[in-house]
This record gives sequence, structure tokens and C-alpha cells, in this order.
Amino acid sequence: MASALLAARDVTVVRDGARIVDRASVSVAPASILTIQGASGSGKSTLLRAIATLIPMSEGTVLFDGREVRAIGITEYRRRVAYVPQLPAMFEGDVAENLRSGPRFRGAILGRAEVIALIGRVGLAADLLEREASDLSGGERLRVALARALANDPRVLLLDEPTAALDPEAANVILDLVLALADSGTAILAVTHSVEHAARLGGTRYRMTTGVLSEATASP
Amino acid sequence: MSYVEIPLWRLAIAVLLVGVAILLSRFSRLALEKDLGLGAVRAAVQLIAIGYALRLLFAAEHPVAVFAVLAAMWVVAAWTSSRRAKHGPPSRVLFPYALAAIGVGAFVALVPVFVLVMRPRPWFEARYVIPIGGMMLSSAMNVVAQVFERLFASSRAEAATLEQYLALGATPEQAFAPYVKAALRAALIPTINGLVTVGLVSLPGMMTGQILSGTAPEQAVRYQLVVMYQLVAVAAVAGVLAATFARRLVFTRDAQLR
Repeated sequence: MASALLAARDVTVVRDGARIVDRASVSVAPASILTIQGASGSGKSTLLRAIATLIPMSEGTVLFDGREVRAIGITEYRRRVAYVPQLPAMFEGDVAENLRSGPRFRGAILGRAEVIALIGRVGLAADLLEREASDLSGGERLRVALARALANDPRVLLLDEPTAALDPEAANVILDLVLALADSGTAILAVTHSVEHAARLGGTRYRMTTGVLSEATASP
Repeated sequence: MSYVEIPLWRLAIAVLLVGVAILLSRFSRLALEKDLGLGAVRAAVQLIAIGYALRLLFAAEHPVAVFAVLAAMWVVAAWTSSRRAKHGPPSRVLFPYALAAIGVGAFVALVPVFVLVMRPRPWFEARYVIPIGGMMLSSAMNVVAQVFERLFASSRAEAATLEQYLALGATPEQAFAPYVKAALRAALIPTINGLVTVGLVSLPGMMTGQILSGTAPEQAVRYQLVVMYQLVAVAAVAGVLAATFARRLVFTRDAQLR
């Protein structure tokens, strides 16, 4: 696929002799959404973590903008391809401190205005910035984690079960947010166990069953 | 040298002090009687054995013998510190790293002092090299054990946070830095406290020993100062090396958590 921004090819993850992910290939273009739906234990989160380079792959390659991860450099790749887990850990300190952490790793200090803009992008009020991050609710944490990832100005977002730990209302907020991010040009690769949420996100849909990826039927 | 000798029968009187602790343990139901008893016996056996070993060593005054003893102490120190870390890799994996951290730490503290400051004659004189080498090795052992234990425990307890740091583009050095800082501070604080309170709260063992055996107090104090400065260097060098090795064991080459 020529327009693919992120392309994973034949990704295989073997753990203790078991093939958790078996030759999975996916690719996402800018401003598009790809969802992988599957039951828990199907290997979808493992595939996402492998694409995020957080766990080793046994086989396969990941290309970002046509280049291999090693050629880009692993830390640079992770800035371009952001990963947000289902239950993101909040760092010590207030929300503003959390949002500044990604850029700080490359020596950049985000100003007050930039931090306010980031928290606004995930639909949270600026007065949250001074709150201790560990005091936030599940939905707020996820949004702060999204904003924290966005601080690096990534081109791809890898979302692991972004709605699983949330009540329906908070889940809807996140789904709208993801759709808006895709509209603004970010490529989204999300895994979810919810058929309904996968349908709401639309885009290209895959299913994963015992480590094997297959194209899902078109969105209803 | 002028000092009062302790005959064995009077040493036996001192054993009664352990008896006091054993009685208290029994009355308070601490269930430490066996540990106290065995500990007292072990201490006696080990110290009496080392007393005779040192006597032989001092009599031989041969560099090979002196360095063989130092090497044995070094290996035991490394083995002990690599076995203490409950949360980390098995001790056979940690052992070479502990050996390196303790060895370099002790080397940095010992060699300049023997060459430039104390200058024993001959340069390998066991009376100086063995006790001071032993102090440095045991201090390095404690620092390395503590740094390993803390860092491997944090890498497990804080795995989710560490992974988030990595996902945000942190290098393993950056992701691990807050934990390394906390572990090194904790490992260095006892040494720093020692520097600050020495002479006010405690008279250190070595100095006390020298004074008891007739050394002029102002000379005993100089020896003590040299040793304390050595201990600072040992703790810093062994601690930083142990932290560096721990980081290598916690993260893969591809900046992933193991």
C-alpha cells in the first residue's frame, strides 16, 4: 500500500512456544482508522504492543513512512507512533507535569499555552492542569494519557482498548475524540473487544482470533 | 604496643551478654533465641579462625597470600550481594556484575590510598591491606546489594510507568533515572550520615581499636578520616556501577522491559 503511513508485515509473537500473534499484517494511512476487534486473549493487544516496539517480535517488520524502526531509531519511532494502554499509569506530579513528560525526554519544555491547548484537545478544562494526576478518574486518566501522547505530536496513535475500562458515557467521549483526531490527520490503530465500538469508529475493520488476523465484514 | 590482654576465660564472661538477649527474647516471645545463639557461635568461630589466619598471613608477609585472601573476600562479598536481590535475575546472572561493581569500587578507594596516603612498607603489608580492604569490600557489598534490591523491586512494581515513559520516547536511562536517583541516595545516605555524626554520636570501631591498642589518638583519627573518605568513594563508585548494570539487566537493547 503506497499511502500507508504505518505498515506492519507478518508480525509474529511467540511466547513460551505458543504463537500469540501469527503473521499479522496491517497498515494505516494518515487520517484513517483501523480497528482490530477480538475477544480477550485473542492476541490483539500483544500485536499492538509489538507494533509499539514495547515487546520483541519473533518475526516480521514494521515500517513507518516506508522506513524500518531501526533505521528511524527506536525513541524517535515511539514519538511518531504513540501508544496508549488501556489503564495508563499516571506519572507523579500534576496533570501539567504529565503532559510535559514526553517533550522533556527530548529536551523540550512545553509552555503554559501549549499545555492548555493540549488539555483542550482532549476536551478537559484547563483547571485540571494543577490536579494531582493520580487523583483522576478512569476516563480523565485516559484523556490525560491521550493528551500526554499528543504532546509528542505523533502521526499514528495506537490505542489499546481505549473504552474497556470506562462507563458508556466516558466511552462515548473517547470515541468522539478518536474520530476527531483521525479527522485532523492522525492515523489511528485501535484494538477493542467491543463490536459496537469498533463499528462506531468505522474505517478498516479486522478481527483477531487466536492470533490470526482476518478482515471483518464491512461496517453495518 | 600497650594494651590489656583478654584471656579466654574472661572472653567467656562476655558471652553472658548474649545470654541476656536470649533471656529477653524468651520472655518477650520473640522466637529469636536460636538465631541469637547460632549467631554468637558463628561470630566466635569465624573471628577466631580469621584471627589465626591473619596471624599466619602476617607471619608470611607474602604478596600472593595477601592478595589471595583479598580475592576470597571479594568473591564472598559479590556472592552475598548478588543473592540478596529478591526481585531481580538469579544470583548466577548477577554475580559477575556484583563482582565488577564491588571490585572497581574497592580498587578506586584502596589503590590511591595505599600508594599515596598510608604507604605501608612493604606495600602489600597484610596488617594494612587486609583490614582496610575488608572494610571497603564489605561497604561495597552492602551498597551493591541495596542498589540491586531497590532497582529490581522498582522495575517490577513500576513496570507500567516505566513502559509509559518508554512509549513516550524516553531512553532507558531517562525512564530509569528517577529510580536510580532514589536508590543511590538511599545507598549513600548512611555513609554521609557517618561523615556528619562521626565524633559526635559515635567513635568508629577502627579508631577505637587503634586507641585501645595504644596508637596516639591524633594518629588514630587520621586513619579514621582516610577510611571514611574511602568509604564515600566506595559507596559512590560501587553504587553507580551497580545501578548501570541493573539498568542493563532491566531493559533490552531495543529499549524494552525484560
